[in-house]
Parts: sequence; structure tokens; C-alpha cells
Amino acid sequence: MSGSQDAVPGIVFSTVDKLAKWAQSSSLWPFSFGLACCAIEMMSTVAGRFDISRFGAEVFRPSPRQADLMIVSGRVSMKMAPVIRRLYEQMAEPRWVIAMGACSSCGGVFNNYAIVQGVDKVVPVDVYIPGCPPNPDALLYAITRLQEKIRAGEAVPGGRVLTPAPREKVVSPWKK
Amino acid sequence: MHLEDTRRLFEQARERFGEDISLSDRPSGEGSIVVSGPRVREFTQWARSQSFDFFADIGGIDYLFESPRFDLTYTVYSTGQKRHLHYKVKLDESAPAVDSISDIYAGANWHERELLDMFGISFNGHPDPRRILMPEHWRGHPLRKDYPINGEQVQFSGNFGDVEPQTLPPAPGQDAFAGWQALETTPGSYTQLIEPAAGPDGQPDADGRMILNMGPQHPSTHGVLRLLIELDGENITRTLPDIGYLHTGIEKTAETLSFQQALTLTDRMDYLSPLGNNLAYSLSVEKLVGVEAPPRATVLRVILAELTRIQSHLVWLGTHALDMGAMSPFFYCFRERDQILDMFEMISGVRMMTSFICPGGLREDVPDEFMPALEQFMRVFPSRVGEYETLLTKNPIWLERTRGVGRLALDDALAYGVSGASLRGSGLAWDIRKAEPYCGYETYEFEIPAGTHGDVYDRYLCRIEELRQSHKIIRQAMNRLEPGPVQTNDRKMIPPPKNELDNSMESLIHHFLISTIGFTAPHGEAHVPTETGRGLLSFYIAGDGSPKPYRMRARTPSFANLQALPVMLQGGLVADAVATIGSIDIVLGDVDR
Repeated sequence: MSGSQDAVPGIVFSTVDKLAKWAQSSSLWPFSFGLACCAIEMMSTVAGRFDISRFGAEVFRPSPRQADLMIVSGRVSMKMAPVIRRLYEQMAEPRWVIAMGACSSCGGVFNNYAIVQGVDKVVPVDVYIPGCPPNPDALLYAITRLQEKIRAGEAVPGGRVLTPAPREKVVSPWKK
Repeated sequence: MHLEDTRRLFEQARERFGEDISLSDRPSGEGSIVVSGPRVREFTQWARSQSFDFFADIGGIDYLFESPRFDLTYTVYSTGQKRHLHYKVKLDESAPAVDSISDIYAGANWHERELLDMFGISFNGHPDPRRILMPEHWRGHPLRKDYPINGEQVQFSGNFGDVEPQTLPPAPGQDAFAGWQALETTPGSYTQLIEPAAGPDGQPDADGRMILNMGPQHPSTHGVLRLLIELDGENITRTLPDIGYLHTGIEKTAETLSFQQALTLTDRMDYLSPLGNNLAYSLSVEKLVGVEAPPRATVLRVILAELTRIQSHLVWLGTHALDMGAMSPFFYCFRERDQILDMFEMISGVRMMTSFICPGGLREDVPDEFMPALEQFMRVFPSRVGEYETLLTKNPIWLERTRGVGRLALDDALAYGVSGASLRGSGLAWDIRKAEPYCGYETYEFEIPAGTHGDVYDRYLCRIEELRQSHKIIRQAMNRLEPGPVQTNDRKMIPPPKNELDNSMESLIHHFLISTIGFTAPHGEAHVPTETGRGLLSFYIAGDGSPKPYRMRARTPSFANLQALPVMLQGGLVADAVATIGSIDIVLGDVDR
């Protein structure tokens, strides 16, 4: 929100875009969708002590149609991955994704046949949270971080690129 | 059960089965009877007539380089005589098949499907031979030893450029994510399973029946459970649970890790009672290796296991009430739960996945602040249980929603292997802590609550009473806590203390070996049943002389409890399904592993 210096007191000037982003970031509606251990910490975040509503994100919606933030809380199995993809597509835009915990960020300790090594192979992710499971504080931090990204226009509504270019070979930053 | 008991039973059975049975030659503390494949049904019937009324588990072990290759380990319990029996069937590599026992013990149904899925063993006469954990299109049987663990190569700084990040499965076409959609099983293919009575998805057929899909994303299924419910009007006529949406491959992964590392996986199995899982695993490993935890560790284990039971029940109570529209208990329960989690954080640095109970004792001694914090919790907790009860126990809405709902008869509960408060609600006060005590539970004074009707309300009352009983146990344990070591003195299992390393070469060697490759377990099999918040949890661990478990089979309570859900829902209203699911207190990580 910005106002010019010689503005009439009590009147704030802004662009519609900024106003919309402010509104979107201040009332994120998470999707009440738990996968594994992290979902229990997500519930702790909702409860009185950590109180996610201080950040305007307490309205957990059981239907993807009404939610705009998907918190992938737990390991994503090969059987669940297509379902997550479908749920993501059922969410209305703008929509954001937080990968909560080591498993949904990169597979965690489960590098095996059953677990998808990171939910970013299935849906585009805006914020990753490390931890197994992350503390409720970490989830709150991720939400504030996402809010900053939304306000700055870094988190693209509807997710990032869905058709990536062919992967280039990544060169190690540590290799001389 | 002791080896002599098994021998005695074996002699009894010998009269009837003759040369078709023998004693297993694998070393194990309790022994097991090997039954020839064709007579397993008959033997199961005989075991059932010998008062082994509770069906627990069928586990498989793939001894790849032996002949016969597969060991199936059946475990049945006698609730009256307070003992259990293992018997085995050995199967050949080529087309392994054995007769199904799912008509003798109804609970064998899912266990046999799991063996079909994971080992490719077929069961003759099985009513529903399908995969259970893996998707229908899956190829291969993951728990066979010749099945690779797969996964992806991890990029480290040393090999960063050489490792290609993968997308699993290979994405066809332009859209990088389209591959996933192709994998999803269409809803139609599942509805065929309930044919012919049902019509197409979402529409009633000629009889007025329709199929309702519940999950895998549903706020009241406590995770990623999927139920296909066939409805006649408002009444449920049939239910088909579909599980495996959280299958994590824990049993397979454990085979690639050392005993200490595999411990961390058990936390993540039943994530509401991590320390209970640690305890069950540690006891089995200790039995296999042949060491015992020192007294202080045992008492602390009891305290921690009971605290875990309390916090697990608190999550159950909060979410169960939330499912039925009562919001406030959730906040009350999580208040006390956070108090317990703070104590866990105090001792280990982590709120949930502590891995604090480990083979050989505890990770370390509890800090000085732990006992005052525990004392404070112990002072407030009884009145807090009273608060929960004020909210619910005599609440007319709560009574209306829970009384007479989701009934489970005792015979069904036993045959399905339902354990924990779900079994006790049906009227049998059977608890492993009393029936086959471990960690010195026989020396504590506590009661096992039991219901009478087997409905949702009785299960609720049982768990509420268990909160009080756990409190009572912790109080007794606190009084008998003496200073002392918390890890076994066995240098082969626990690394020697640091100060010895300067003076003793042997200590240095042991420290190095345990830190690098871990401790080794002898050839053999071990199994210790325990009672967690959800019921009977046991690990069947096979060692092969290496520092890794050759096989870690987890008999989880939720898997069996969930199997009885269709029986409880049968004939009830669809609105009561949510109440019933909440009352059996399943954790999907525990079901799917």
C-alpha cells in the first residue's frame, strides 16, 4: 500500500494489483489435507498454543474448490501422487503449495520404491520446510514467507511453469 | 511364550499330524512349529480349537538362498491362557501357493493379500485375491530379496554433476506432470469390485443402491484412507476399504539399514506413538541379541511409553470429537499434548520423532529438568481428564451420536485380530501389558477397562479410563526411579563411554565398530508383543549375523483394526461412518507402513 506525500489524510492510494495481493496473502485458506506425521504438527499449529489464525490462515477447507493453499504434510507415495495432482488441479486459482517436511520436499529418509522423491515432481511448490517433522513455528514461518512472496509477486498464482524445458546437466557449484 | 510351552504343544499336535509337523530349526527364544503346506488349514483349525482365539499376523520372510525359499510365520494368541503360538509354512520358489485360512480366522484375509502383494505368494480359495498396498498396475513384489529397493540416487557435492535428477515415472509428452494423471486408477474400475448390485458411480441402480466414494482425501478419515461405501438410501450395505495411499516401504528400507538406523523408521510408522514403536522394536532386537536394558532404563521406558499413550489418546479424543462437530475438546486435548511434547523436546530435542528408546536402553539419561516438568504435568492431568469428560461423557448430542453406533461383537473382534481399546470396548479386558508383561508391567498396579456393548461410546469410555490408568502407572514408576545407568553394559551393543577410549584399545575398537557398521545380531528370529495406544504391536525380527535386520516384520494394530471396519459399518447410517472410523483410532502410517 503506498500513498503519495501530499495526499489527503485518511486516503490511501494503491494499485488494484497490490490491493489484491495484500488481500490474498492476508487470508490464505489452507486445504485440510493431511498425509502423515507432519499433518499432526499441522494440527498443533492450528491449536491454541501456536494459533495459525494470527496469520490469517486458520480457515481450513476440506474441499479443494474452496482452498487456495495446499500444505503437503507428509510423505507422498506412488499411489497417492496422482491423487495429489488431481486435488491440486481442482483448487481454484490463485493457488499455492507448501511442501512441509523432509519427505514432501525431497523424499526424506525414504529413498525407496514406494515414495516419490519430493512432491515438486507432481505439483509446483512455492515454499519448502525442512524438518522431520518441522516444528509448528517452522510452518508459521513458511506461511509468513509465502505471504511475502505473494506480496512481492514472486509466487505466481496457479503455480510455476507446468511445461519445463528439457533439463540441462547441472554442474556442481563446488566442483572446480 | 517359552520354548517348553511350544514343545508341549508340539507333542500334543504330533499325535494328530505325525510327520507333517516339526519344530523349526531356526534359533528363536520361543520356538515355532513348521507345518507342511497342505495341512496348514487343518493345523489352523486345530490351533483354534486349542483356545488360540485371537488371530494376530502372517508374516513372510524371503530366505533367498535357501530351499525352500519362503517362510510364512503365522501368529495366534490365546486370550484365555495368555500365551501365543508361532507356526510356519515353508514354500518353494516356483509358484509358491498355500491354502487360505481366511474362513477360519477372518483377519487373515488382508494379511494374505499383503503377502500376495509383497511376496507374490498365492492363496488357494482366497475370496478377494488382489494387491492391497501397491497400486493395481504395480509390477513385481517389493519385499522379495531380489527386488531392488529403487529410489533415486542422491546428489551430494562429490557426485553432483554425475547424478541425473529423475522424474518418476517418466513423463510422457509435453506436460511434465501428465504422467501422474495417467497412473490414477479410474473410479469406475473400483466400483466393479462391488458389483453386481451397484450402479455406476454416484447414481443409484435399479434397487436404489448407490456407491459413495470417501477419501483418500477426506477430513474425517484420519489420513489417506479410502472407503467405497454401498448405500441403500441412508443405510450402508457394504464397505470396501482401499488402503496403501501411505505405503512407505518401511519394512524394505529397514533391511538396508543397521539396527540403530532402522530404529528411526519405526518412529515414522505409527506417528502418534513413536516411543511405543521404539520400545517394541528395541525389545525385539534386545531379545535377538540377548541383552537386557538396565533397571533405570526400564522404568523410564515405562514412563515414556505411558506418556506416549496419553498423547496418542489425546489426539484421538480431539480429532474424534472434531469429526462429530465438537470443536472445543480439540483445543483442550492439544493443550495437554503440547505439555507432553515439550517434555519429549526436553529429553531429545525433537517434539515427535524422538528415537529416544533404543536397543540397549535409552539414547541418554533424561535431563534434570525432566522430573519437575513431569511432576507438574502429573499434578494437573487428572483434573484435565475431568474437563474432557465434562464436555463429552454426559453430553446428550455425544450420547446420541455414539451409543449403539458401530457395534462390534467380541467374536468378530477376536477373529479379525482387533486389539487395543477397540477390542476392550467389545467386552474383553485383554491387554498385552497384563497378558504377556514386558518391562516389568506385572509389578505395576493398574486396571484394564472393558466395555460391554462394543459400540463407539464404550470404546470412548475405555480410552478415557486408560488415560487415568496410564497416569497411575507413571506415578508408580516415578516413585521407583533410582539413579543408575540407562544403557546396557554390553560393549558389543552400546559404544563404550568416551573416557575409556584413551586407555583401552578394546574400547576403542568397539567404539569404532559400533559407530561405523553397528552391532551385529546372531542368526535367529525374535518377537516381543507390546501394547501401544492402538493395540498389539510387535516386530518379528530375523537376523542373519550381519549388522542389519534380515527382515523386520511389523504387526501393526491399525491394520487389523481397520479390517473390521466393514463389520462395524454394516447396516448403520452413512452419517455414523465418521463416528465409527474415529472410534477405532487408526493411524494410516500404521496401516500402510
